[in-house]
Amino acid sequence: MKIKKTALAQGFIRCHDCGCLSKRADKNRPCPLCGGLLHPRLPNSFQRTAALLLSAFCLYIPANIFPIMTVTRLGVGEPHTIIGGIIALINGNMVPIAMLVLVASILVPLLKLLGISLLLLNVHYRWQSHAKKWTILYRIIAFVGRWSMLDIFMISILVSLVDMGSVAQVIAGPAATAFAAVVVLTMLAAKNFDPRLIWDNQR
Amino acid sequence: MNPTNFTACPECDLLLNPAEPVIGDKAHCPRCGYLLQRPRKQSIERTFALSIAGLILIFPANLMPLIGIKMLGGAKDGTLWSGVVALFDEHLWGVAVLVFLSSILFPLLNIVLSLLISAHLYFNQPSRHLARWMRWLQHMDEWAMLEVYMLGVIVACVKLAATSELKFGFGLYAFVALLIVTGMLASSLDKVLFWRQIGQLRK
Repeated sequence: MKIKKTALAQGFIRCHDCGCLSKRADKNRPCPLCGGLLHPRLPNSFQRTAALLLSAFCLYIPANIFPIMTVTRLGVGEPHTIIGGIIALINGNMVPIAMLVLVASILVPLLKLLGISLLLLNVHYRWQSHAKKWTILYRIIAFVGRWSMLDIFMISILVSLVDMGSVAQVIAGPAATAFAAVVVLTMLAAKNFDPRLIWDNQR
Repeated sequence: MNPTNFTACPECDLLLNPAEPVIGDKAHCPRCGYLLQRPRKQSIERTFALSIAGLILIFPANLMPLIGIKMLGGAKDGTLWSGVVALFDEHLWGVAVLVFLSSILFPLLNIVLSLLISAHLYFNQPSRHLARWMRWLQHMDEWAMLEVYMLGVIVACVKLAATSELKFGFGLYAFVALLIVTGMLASSLDKVLFWRQIGQLRK
């Protein structure tokens, strides 16, 4: 295969914000066009991504164990975990919506946690093959991240609408905070991961 | 070697000397497949027009009720804001702030910044803030989550439809229109072109 040259190897740094090229000697100085700080790669990308990912892993457990909301009807309270809410939807014959919530609140966060872990392993152990496929995995992770907020928005709507005192009430549970934190932390982890690290390791 | 004739791929750092893509074409990185640029017809004019439309629509979408509910004699209207307040009342401050940012503040700032930048470019008015606004806009992009919120509304409606009577408010229609406008706005804004114009105005 023809060896292709990176901008860094040619002595240039690409500005993260505006994309213009500067000389490598200008690193840590502001970009002449947009004023953002110039770095050859995102600073401490590996460490920051790993730290954010680890925090997300820890919070994923309370997010799934504790109730995410409690539905009270005529004084009888019924706490739901994320999985419990999905089972309730299936029992109510709302399978398509149940699948949607399953994908957005269980599969996407889980696959994102695993996917970012794999990307970090790839960079750490300098895996040599399929760099393009790894980059595509990174793109998918970065794209789907926000869709996990679905559950949080749904809860915010239910909590504000179903508020009829003792007749019917929806109260958000402690898992909501943990789950929201998982979503934000994994989004930040993906944002801090620099996919150029995958390519830098290719020989 | 003059760096202004070159760019680098943001995801694999390959040094590129791309030909200017024509409108309707897409420029991809030959190594990792990243979409480098997708020029749009009248990018600045359309961004300007669409951000004005967005700024008009964001008021009814925020202030008027999205959905109303009738349940066992009680009735209630829900707006974007009432969802935030309800979470705040239940002491879920973190979640309330997150919902506020991603469904109200960031979409608003997104539109305001697009309007400011495209208006300056349209009227050829240099401003020393342009590059800063453009950087803010890029960082804010993925945290504005109107389309995810819409999905949350749909799931909440399906959950409530079995036990209560739902009414769609005028705010919801404005919200859907806003969603379409912001989607078109995102695709009409050609970042490469905008940065180049900002650079030229500076000179």
